[in-house]
Amino acid sequence: MTFILPIGPQHPALEEPTHFRIEVKGEEIVGVDLRLGYAHRGIEKALTERSYAHGFYLSQRVCGICNATHSLAFTRAVESVAGVECPDRARYIRVIDGELERIHSHLLWAGIAAHEIGFTTLFMLLWRDREHALDMRELLFGHRIYATGTYLGGARVDIEQKHIPQLTRALAELEKSAKHYIDVCTSDRTVIARCSGVGVLTKKDARELCAVGPTARASGVDFDIRRDDPYAAYDEIRFDVVTERDGDVLAKVVVRLREILESVEIIRQAIDAMPKGPIRAKFPENVPENEAVGRVEAPRGELMYYVRSNGTNKPERVRIRTPSYANWPSIRPMLVGGTIAEIPIVVASIDPCFSCTDRVTIVDVKTGKARIMTKGELRGLQK
Amino acid sequence: MIETLWYVFAYFVFPGILFASAVGLLFMGIDRKITGHMQHRIGPPIWQEFLDVGKLFCKEDVTPAAANSFVFNCAPLLSFGALIAVVLLLPINSAQPVLTSVADLIVIIYLLNIPAVCMMLAGYASGCPFGTIGSSRYVIQLFGYELAFIIAAFAVAAKAGWSLGLSSIVAYQAQNGWMAFQVALIPAAIAILIAAQGKLLRVPFDIPEAESEIVHGPQTEYSGPKLAILRIAYDIELFVVAAVVVVLFFGGPVPHTIGGVHIPGVVGFLIKCFGIVVLSTVIRNIAARLRIDQALKFFWTFPTLLAAISLFLVMVV
Amino acid sequence: MPRMLPDVLKNLFRKPVTVKYPKQRRELPENFRGKPVVDKEKCIGCGLCVKVCPDGAITLDEKTKKPRIWMGLCMMCGRCAEVCPRKVITMSKEFELATYNKYKAMSE
Repeated sequence: MTFILPIGPQHPALEEPTHFRIEVKGEEIVGVDLRLGYAHRGIEKALTERSYAHGFYLSQRVCGICNATHSLAFTRAVESVAGVECPDRARYIRVIDGELERIHSHLLWAGIAAHEIGFTTLFMLLWRDREHALDMRELLFGHRIYATGTYLGGARVDIEQKHIPQLTRALAELEKSAKHYIDVCTSDRTVIARCSGVGVLTKKDARELCAVGPTARASGVDFDIRRDDPYAAYDEIRFDVVTERDGDVLAKVVVRLREILESVEIIRQAIDAMPKGPIRAKFPENVPENEAVGRVEAPRGELMYYVRSNGTNKPERVRIRTPSYANWPSIRPMLVGGTIAEIPIVVASIDPCFSCTDRVTIVDVKTGKARIMTKGELRGLQK
Repeated sequence: MIETLWYVFAYFVFPGILFASAVGLLFMGIDRKITGHMQHRIGPPIWQEFLDVGKLFCKEDVTPAAANSFVFNCAPLLSFGALIAVVLLLPINSAQPVLTSVADLIVIIYLLNIPAVCMMLAGYASGCPFGTIGSSRYVIQLFGYELAFIIAAFAVAAKAGWSLGLSSIVAYQAQNGWMAFQVALIPAAIAILIAAQGKLLRVPFDIPEAESEIVHGPQTEYSGPKLAILRIAYDIELFVVAAVVVVLFFGGPVPHTIGGVHIPGVVGFLIKCFGIVVLSTVIRNIAARLRIDQALKFFWTFPTLLAAISLFLVMVV
Repeated sequence: MPRMLPDVLKNLFRKPVTVKYPKQRRELPENFRGKPVVDKEKCIGCGLCVKVCPDGAITLDEKTKKPRIWMGLCMMCGRCAEVCPRKVITMSKEFELATYNKYKAMSE
C-alpha cells in the first residue's frame, strides 16, 4: 500500500517553497512528483518594461546566491546584441567576481548538505570559512552578496592594488579549508555511509535528461562552458574541469569542493595576468534590432539568457533558462528506489535554487497534467 | 508520618522532580554551550533550557483535531512520571536509593523503556505523517540499542555475584574498584556508552526525530505545555541514563572526606555524570546521522558483540 | 578515528569567531555602499540621479529642486553617487536603517 508523503511547501529540509509528493512503501520510494511555481515573480515580463541599465539590476535579483552569474549572462547577451566589446581589464575583473561567487556558493551548498545529513558541526565550520569569500567580495566590490562587479560594457569598479595582499591571504585560507574538508568528507565513516552509493545518476541518464553543472560532471559528463564556450577571460587562463565517475552524492560533494580549489587557482592567475587599462566601454542608450544568447557557467551549471531587442532602450523579450530548471528531471532516477531518509540529501545534491527555477510551467492539479502556457494565453489571462 | 513526609520530600524535591529537572536542564544547557564552542562559536548561555521550557509553558496548548486526544495528552505525563520513578530507584546520595525493590536493575530497564514507548504512541496518535514515520523509526531503533544495553547491564550484574540490586553493585565497586576498569568488563563499558547514545536519541542515532527530514518526528504536533513536559522529560532522561551508566560502571555515589570536610556522595556522582554527558556531547559533534537500516545493522554487530563478549568473559573466567 | 575530532577539541580552546554584535562591530571597508547621503549645498538640480536610479527611489523636491531618496526603495547600488557631476551624493557606511515607519525613512 503506497503512502503519499508530502514534503513542502514548508519543510525544514527546503529553504524555498516547493512541493514534492513522494509515494512511499514503508521506507522505500516508488514515485516522485514535483510541483514548482511558488517563487514565481514575473521577472521575464518585468525585464521588458525596464531599460537595459535598470534591467541589469533586476536580472541580478533572480537569485541571491548566483547573482553575479545572472548579471554576467545578461550582460553577455546584451553586449552581443549591441555589439559592444568589453575592455581587457574588465574581463579579468569579471573572472574574479564570478569565481569568488562560485567559492561562496559551493561552500554554502556544502554546509547545507552537511546539515541535511545531521552533521551540524561541519555545517557551522563550512559557513565560518565561507566568511572569507564574502569578506573579499565586500572589500573589492562593496557588498557581500549583491556585489555588482560587472556592468553593461565592462566592470563597475576597479580592483585596487592595495587590496591584493588581503585577497591573497583570504585565498590561502580558503584553499587550506577546502583541502581539509575534502579530506573529512572522503574519510569520515558516517559521511560515507550517508552519501556513498546514494542518489546515483548514471552517465546515460545524465546525458538523456540534460543535466548540467556539477550534477552532470559528477556522473562523468565532461562539459564546462568556461572551457567549451569561453567568455570573459577564461580562454587565457589555464584550469582543469573537475569530473568524477560514480555519480552519487559523495561524488557531487567532492566535485564541488574540488571546484573551490580550481577557483582559487583561477583567481590567482587572474590577479597576476590582469592588464592595465580602462574598465568600461560606452554602452549605447538605444540598442538596434538584434537577438543574441549569453551563456555562463553558474555555480549550478549552464545559465542561458536570450535577449531580443527592437531598437528602443528596453528589450523586447528576455528568456532565462537556469541550471536548476534543467536539473530537476534528474531527481526522479535518483530518488526512486531509495529510502525516505535520503530525500533531503538527494534533493540537495543537485543544488536546487528555487528562485532560479520558477518560470512559466503550470501543473494542473485536478487532472494531474502539466502544460506550458504560451504568450497568447498569458496575455489572455491578464485582461 | 515522618516516613510519608520523607517520601513526599524525596519525590518532589530531592532526588525527585526539582532536583532531577534542575540537574537535567543544567546538563543540557552545558551540553549546548560546549557544542557551541566546539563549533567555534559562542553557544547559548547555560540556563537557556530553563528559559526555553519556561517560554513553552506560557504558550497556547493545541491538540490537533485528527489526533487521538487521550493518548496524545497522556504520553508526555507518562514518560515524565516513569523517569521520576527511575530517579527514585537510583542510589544518588548514598548506596541506598530512596525506594528499593527486589530486582532493581530489571525494574529500571523496564521503566526506562516507558518514555520510548510513550513517544512512539504519541507519534502514532498525532495523526500526522511525520509522526507515523518517526514512530516506526523509533520502534526499529529500540530493537537496536536495547539489546546491547541489557546484555551490558547483565554483565555487570553477573560480575557482582548475580545480584540485581543496585546497592549491592555500588557496594561491590566500593570494595573492588570501578567496574569499568575490570578487564572483563571494558568491552561492556564501551557497548553501554554506544547504546546510551542511541537511547538518548543523539547524533549519530537521532533518527526518530531527525529534524531536517521529518520535521520533529513523533513530537511534531506538540506545542505549549505538553512540549515543555516532553522537553523536561528528554533532559531528565539525559541525566538518568548517565546516572545508570555511572552506577553500573563507574562506582556510583561515594562520599569522600577531603581535608576534614565531609563531601556527600551526590557531589562526586554529579561530577561523574557530567563526565558521561561531555563524552556524549563530543560523540554528538563529530558524526553525521545514520540511516535507520545502517543504525540497526551497526547496533546488532558492534555493541551487541562487545557486550556479549563481556558477559561470556565474566561467566566463564 | 573520526576526522573531525582534533578540530572539535581544538576549537574548544580557541576564541570563538562570533562577533558579539551589537556590543562589538566589524570595521567596514572603504568601498562599502551604505546609505546614500545627500549634500544639498552642492546640488545643481540636474536631475541625473533621478533618471539613473533603477528603483525610482529618488525624487526632486518641487520647490528647492534638491534630491530626496526614499530608503524604502533604495537598494544602495551606488549609481546616483557615480553619475552625479558635483559629487553631491556619497555612499556612507551606515547600514543600520531599521525604523518604525518606513515611509518616513528619507535621506535628504
